[in-house]
Amino acid sequence: MLSRRLRQLAAAAAAAAVPVLAAAQATVEVPFFYPIAVGGPITKIIDGFAADFEKENPGVKLKPIYTGSYQDSIAKALTSVKSGDPPVTSILLSTDMYTLIDEDAIVPFDDLVKTPEDKAWLAGFYPGFMENSRTGGKTWGIPFQRSTVVLYWNKEMFKEAGLDPNRPPATWQEQLDYAQKLTRRDASGKVTQWGLQIPSSGFPYWLFQGLAIQNGVNLMNAAGTETYYDRPEVIGALQYWVDLARKHRVHPEGIVEWGTTPKDFFERKMAMMWTTTGNLTNVKNNAKFDFGVAMLPAGKQRGSPTGGGNFYIFKKSTPAQREAAFKFIKWVTQPARAAQWSIDTGYVAVSQAAYDTPAMKKYVSEFPAAAVARDQLPYAKAELSTHDNQRVTKALNDGLQAALTGTKTPEAAMRDAQREAERLLRAHRR
Amino acid sequence: MSASATVHEPRGAGRALESVAAWTLGVLWILPLAYAVWTAFHPAEFSTRFVPGAPLTLDNFVKAWNAAPFARYFVNTVVLVTTILAAQLVLVTLAAYAFARYRFPGDDVAFALVLVQLMIMPDVLIVENYRTMTVLGIKDTILSIGLPYMASAFGIFLLRQTFKTVPRELDEAARVEGCSSLQTLWKVYVPLAKPTYVAYALVSVSYHWNNFLWPLIITESVESRPVTVGLQVFASTDQGIDWSIITAATLLTTGPLLVAFLLFQRQFVQSFMRAGIK
Repeated sequence: MLSRRLRQLAAAAAAAAVPVLAAAQATVEVPFFYPIAVGGPITKIIDGFAADFEKENPGVKLKPIYTGSYQDSIAKALTSVKSGDPPVTSILLSTDMYTLIDEDAIVPFDDLVKTPEDKAWLAGFYPGFMENSRTGGKTWGIPFQRSTVVLYWNKEMFKEAGLDPNRPPATWQEQLDYAQKLTRRDASGKVTQWGLQIPSSGFPYWLFQGLAIQNGVNLMNAAGTETYYDRPEVIGALQYWVDLARKHRVHPEGIVEWGTTPKDFFERKMAMMWTTTGNLTNVKNNAKFDFGVAMLPAGKQRGSPTGGGNFYIFKKSTPAQREAAFKFIKWVTQPARAAQWSIDTGYVAVSQAAYDTPAMKKYVSEFPAAAVARDQLPYAKAELSTHDNQRVTKALNDGLQAALTGTKTPEAAMRDAQREAERLLRAHRR
Repeated sequence: MSASATVHEPRGAGRALESVAAWTLGVLWILPLAYAVWTAFHPAEFSTRFVPGAPLTLDNFVKAWNAAPFARYFVNTVVLVTTILAAQLVLVTLAAYAFARYRFPGDDVAFALVLVQLMIMPDVLIVENYRTMTVLGIKDTILSIGLPYMASAFGIFLLRQTFKTVPRELDEAARVEGCSSLQTLWKVYVPLAKPTYVAYALVSVSYHWNNFLWPLIITESVESRPVTVGLQVFASTDQGIDWSIITAATLLTTGPLLVAFLLFQRQFVQSFMRAGIK
């Protein structure tokens, strides 16, 4: 507190002494919300980014503010917007885009992208990630820490079950066959090892979206005004998931906890799991057996939703602040930096150029699993995001959990979810 | 009299049932804590395997402590709860005394307004409070976390009720002895309301020790954040969840409160009985 005040005083004194020079070098302060709590390796990386950027750009004071989980961060960001004191830039979920637009909180990047160089930079991001960053012909978010869903498998268990340990299931049918071979029961019929586990707590829609895309449709339109929860393909996808548990009994019944699924995998409670690429580093460090990472198996086609966070720039900021934030966003997504970020965290690098850097090529050759998410990207679709996103998504989550716990049939659950979504979205269609 | 007393004293089957119910609730309540203790003191492999001979370790505590600047967070939390409590005790005592013993124009309306405040969840006011703190220029300070809670409606109501039970004769006797209003308050009312103060202090301290959303929203730096916000570091679901470290950190942050409760348990329970808070 004190040192900041001293610095301000010093700046004020300098400004009084040499007004012309000071005007040219006036410090632009850029508060930056980053969704993690203080501590741990990621905070250090972000602090390092801020320090390096300030060194290269004197006159900009980038101030990272660590805001907890994604949910806490959007709550804090919206509160500060409503109180008239928002940050200049923030990383928030890519799916928060419509919410932020509806609150009139952010500005599109189109006004900041001016030079051909800027345009080339913007065109460099994977199109799969841009689906959640654009709407109505404008770009509202810049991908930074993005992920997709992939399948992890335990190679030792594959060997024990007589399967080729280096060949993951490629189709729904294979996934089911493998899971049947991999499920083990003890004498009393109690399962000691599950074939497959797809988490369904917290945000089941995200993993379910993979199934739906594989079965032929995504869950919503690009304008974020319509959902397709009750399409036959969507109901079919849910039927497949429910059958894995209730008919074939190769997947635990009821709700599977997201947070502990990797742990169950380490403890050999199941042979295959679906989870985010963001868990790659965690699995690499903690699995005490040989494991593989694969694209999700194909139904009618391959597919996965994207996930994770984008950069946004807030409306209530000065032009100088916006320029400085934009400069930082360009700086931090440069190929070399994006590659290093991906290697350090396990998030998918956001552009092809990042995968073409020497550091990334070397990493991928040593750890091929790191390239799976990239190879899956051509099949990746936008994560479920609509206007009134929280409630429209909740309607689906509730329906999914009702079907998985057996209180509703998949068909009834999806019809109810669609009806609720329709009701919420009607107002946004005008 | 004695007959009605024995009716409420359960016997035989009734008594057994009551014991079973009490034990069941007690065990249910202690289970998460027991799990936390088990997991925190054992290596991660044993976090869901309960083998009696599992090796003990303090590693999880070291890792949790080093994962975030917890020492600073603890200082902040202690400063926070003591400032709030100190301010609350002063404001609440004066307000309750006025409402309990003085008639002034609009006193009923004023008291009704205080009661209305009891009905409003503080979370509803987050945006407005945030704006006020920004205008005052104290955003991101420990004072800004505490300020909205200092005039506590609950405390005023509770203490007013207690002051009302103080016999008028004591008040009058003090006046005859030459006490001023504030002296009467200090020498007669405050000592008699001690159990209420203890009970209220416990509620206030534990509430603010555990409060999360408001501190998260109004603070931005390590210098002002309390432990609850610090605990967030372990909630990153993208990177997987490590129960051993989470439970160790939970024990660390709740530890001081638990120890204090165990030390002063008898006083607390008695105060609650007398103050009528349950």
